[in-house]
Amino acid sequence: MVVHRHRGRLARFVVRKLLITLGLLLGVTVVTFLLVQLVPGDPTTTNLSESAQNDPAVVAAYRAKWGLDQPMVVQYLTYLGNLLQGDLGISQSTGNTVAGDLGRYVPATLEIALPAMTLSLVISVVVGMWAAVRKDRPADHTVRGVALVGLSTPSFWLAILALYVFFYVLGIAPNGGRLSVQYVPPDKITGMYTVDALLTGRPEVFWDAVAHLALPVLVLTCLTVSALIRFVRSAMLEVLDQDYVKAATAKGLSRWTVLRRHVLRAGLVQVVTVGGLAFASLLSGTVLIEQIYSWPGVGQYAYRAAVNLDLPAIMGVSLFVALVYTLVNLLVDLLYGVIDPRIRL
Amino acid sequence: MKRTFTPRRLIGAVIGVVVVSGLAACGGGESEAGSGSALTVNTSFVVKSLDPGAVYEPTGNVVVHALYDTLVTFEGDDVSTPVPDLAESYEASPDATTFTFTLDQDAVFSDGSPVTSADVVFSLNRLKNLKGSAAAIVTNLSFEAPDERTVVVTSSVPDPSVPSMLTMPATGILNSKVAKEHGGDDSADAASTDKLTSYLNNTAAGSGPYVIESFDAASRIVLSANPKYWGEKPAFPRVVFQNMDVQNQKLTMSKKPDASVAMDLSGSSLDGLPGELQQTSSPNTYYQLRLSQDPSVSKVTSNHDFVQALRAAMDYDGIAAIFGEGGQPAAGDVPTAFAGALPASEAQKQDLTKAKELLAASGVGDTPVKLLYPALTFGGVDLGTIATKVQADAAKAGIKIELDPAPIASFLEQRKGGKVALSFSPQSFDYPVATVEVSDLMPGGGAAEAAGWTEENADPETVAAAQKALSTFDPAEQATAIQDWQRLMLQHSPFITLAYNSGVVVASPDLSDATFTAAGWTLDVADIGRK
Repeated sequence: MVVHRHRGRLARFVVRKLLITLGLLLGVTVVTFLLVQLVPGDPTTTNLSESAQNDPAVVAAYRAKWGLDQPMVVQYLTYLGNLLQGDLGISQSTGNTVAGDLGRYVPATLEIALPAMTLSLVISVVVGMWAAVRKDRPADHTVRGVALVGLSTPSFWLAILALYVFFYVLGIAPNGGRLSVQYVPPDKITGMYTVDALLTGRPEVFWDAVAHLALPVLVLTCLTVSALIRFVRSAMLEVLDQDYVKAATAKGLSRWTVLRRHVLRAGLVQVVTVGGLAFASLLSGTVLIEQIYSWPGVGQYAYRAAVNLDLPAIMGVSLFVALVYTLVNLLVDLLYGVIDPRIRL
Repeated sequence: MKRTFTPRRLIGAVIGVVVVSGLAACGGGESEAGSGSALTVNTSFVVKSLDPGAVYEPTGNVVVHALYDTLVTFEGDDVSTPVPDLAESYEASPDATTFTFTLDQDAVFSDGSPVTSADVVFSLNRLKNLKGSAAAIVTNLSFEAPDERTVVVTSSVPDPSVPSMLTMPATGILNSKVAKEHGGDDSADAASTDKLTSYLNNTAAGSGPYVIESFDAASRIVLSANPKYWGEKPAFPRVVFQNMDVQNQKLTMSKKPDASVAMDLSGSSLDGLPGELQQTSSPNTYYQLRLSQDPSVSKVTSNHDFVQALRAAMDYDGIAAIFGEGGQPAAGDVPTAFAGALPASEAQKQDLTKAKELLAASGVGDTPVKLLYPALTFGGVDLGTIATKVQADAAKAGIKIELDPAPIASFLEQRKGGKVALSFSPQSFDYPVATVEVSDLMPGGGAAEAAGWTEENADPETVAAAQKALSTFDPAEQATAIQDWQRLMLQHSPFITLAYNSGVVVASPDLSDATFTAAGWTLDVADIGRK
């Protein structure tokens, strides 16, 4: 009975969250649409050549084609009507459907974000806990110092430095992109080259794709670890100070057992929150990293959409980002219960 | 035995993953297409579509030129005389309104079907009726096909530049049968009815030396040789365009890779490149200040003495030096890549004494003027650096300028409105003929209108000189007329051209004919071979 009641609460929680998500997405469409209208720029000036802009017939044709000649409310309602049918519209800058574009760029971003986040969590939890245990000792100072340096380092600078060292000086990393020029991308199944190469039985493409992942993942990991490690340390210090931890140690449990069973588990609740936000941030676009490593991800797509005042693409990316943050938050809430059974939804 | 996953093991695993990734980077594995058979073009992508009817961005032009033949083309870096491509010959009427092209009977599309005049008329009508950015090239033209091999192009105004217009990648000829099958339309309402672009982004329907293997506007465009190409076969069976940041292009070329080209290294980014690399360039871009002549916009910039004071205050040599080797101080408005440019001996010089006298004569005092410019890097140079130099030069003559950088969208929007007193931007031609610029800058032209320079407030002598340049058909006489017009522009126009600059093609030592051209496509990848 208790289990059923808990499952019922969980289902209600998930449904409530999903309804909130729908409301949030609707709000995002309104706010994004209004913000784009307020931007001092006109899609015709950014998407037509200067000569074309001097021809009223060309400008009128462009406005009619993209519905820009319609009142703002009509434009928004048309967009919303299409959205309800699952149609995110056509990108003014690529000519493709926005859904198709996202379907191509999101897997590319996932491919660097997933390993970067996994490595970041593992490294920051291990090193952060280590620093917490050795509070105010040289190891702790070193970890905090390195993390501070990492936090202060501009991402583009670190990316260029890594490229210089690993590609130019050492010659052990490729210079960007997702594959070497001699390879044809694997047939699309997930959109992630490493996964698709394995699924289609092309190990040489898999290894080449892994090699191309190395630098962007390394840089993203360094940046994310720097942000997470200090948080993990303080979260662990807080737990270490709890009476039940001291009691566990006093009972004679080994240091490692205390850390693993009590400190890590309790500390992780807070880490998951920050980790979730960091992951959502990675997914929503790391423009500079993607630019430097010629990585065709969501960040690059969002940047090009903004520069071209490509309204459907801007709306599409905004919806994606909102969806990611909401789903990550939902996942984090659900994970609380798994990590710490004392927490009930 | 129970294994415990200690932090030490965990760290070891992480290091292992990194090492494996690094080792994988060292190993190349077996190539699929053979890296040695591919030409790599590294460039910072500016491309939306590979549809010739929609293309006008730099990267798109390079690629589309390799996919689609045009009626005529330019050979190498010579942009003075159109040479045969799909048309084996052409004739112009004496009044430069009718141009008759005879198609090469050997020309075939990539599906093996012959190129006919109906294909040409369909393609050019579609370009015109799509009303996209490139449509301006053919706005004044109409097209007819009296027989299968003859195309007649009629211009509504006398214009000897028509063959040069028809070299542009946007005028690439489509296989009309394939195009219509996939939603292509050349009717008057094609802007709303044509659905061909997305098909052409994945499959080329042309007769050029290459076809599309894959297209991703964010990362990579791969072309493979057209097996049925009717002309001289290209040396490289595969061309890979890689979207690459300028810093990365420099690092990549510094390693002297095989069969590689970089297209965006210019200005200071050329410093320190290995001497073995090949570099070609030709000044084809100009950097210009535009002063509004509308007193309701600015009483200062519409003052003729103020314009001339600012013109005299500029340090043209110093500004050109910012562009590095590709930069030249401006003599007139036409860059040296094109017929009609003024000789380098007439390059403008700074004259601060004259500038101060003119400023005093203007009576505008020390009223500050805002200089609007796009906040971006163009041709390897941050435009803010040029604007700052303009501000400093002007200050030496007592002219106060306040910098007003703006995002490109905002810059274009503000300047289009014609309410900007002083602005600065790089400019290039729609097609490689100097009369494009004459039409744009003369009263009645787009730039002149935006600067409030009308026939009423322009001097008649400069207007007449522009009209003479446009109506002179003999190439040598036209070049002289364009030069005469520029000398008058220096005395009367509201445009101050500061410097010319060029795109640069940097090529690995093993390549031949990797040549920068001032034609619309910058680089003809099908011309490139191995030494």
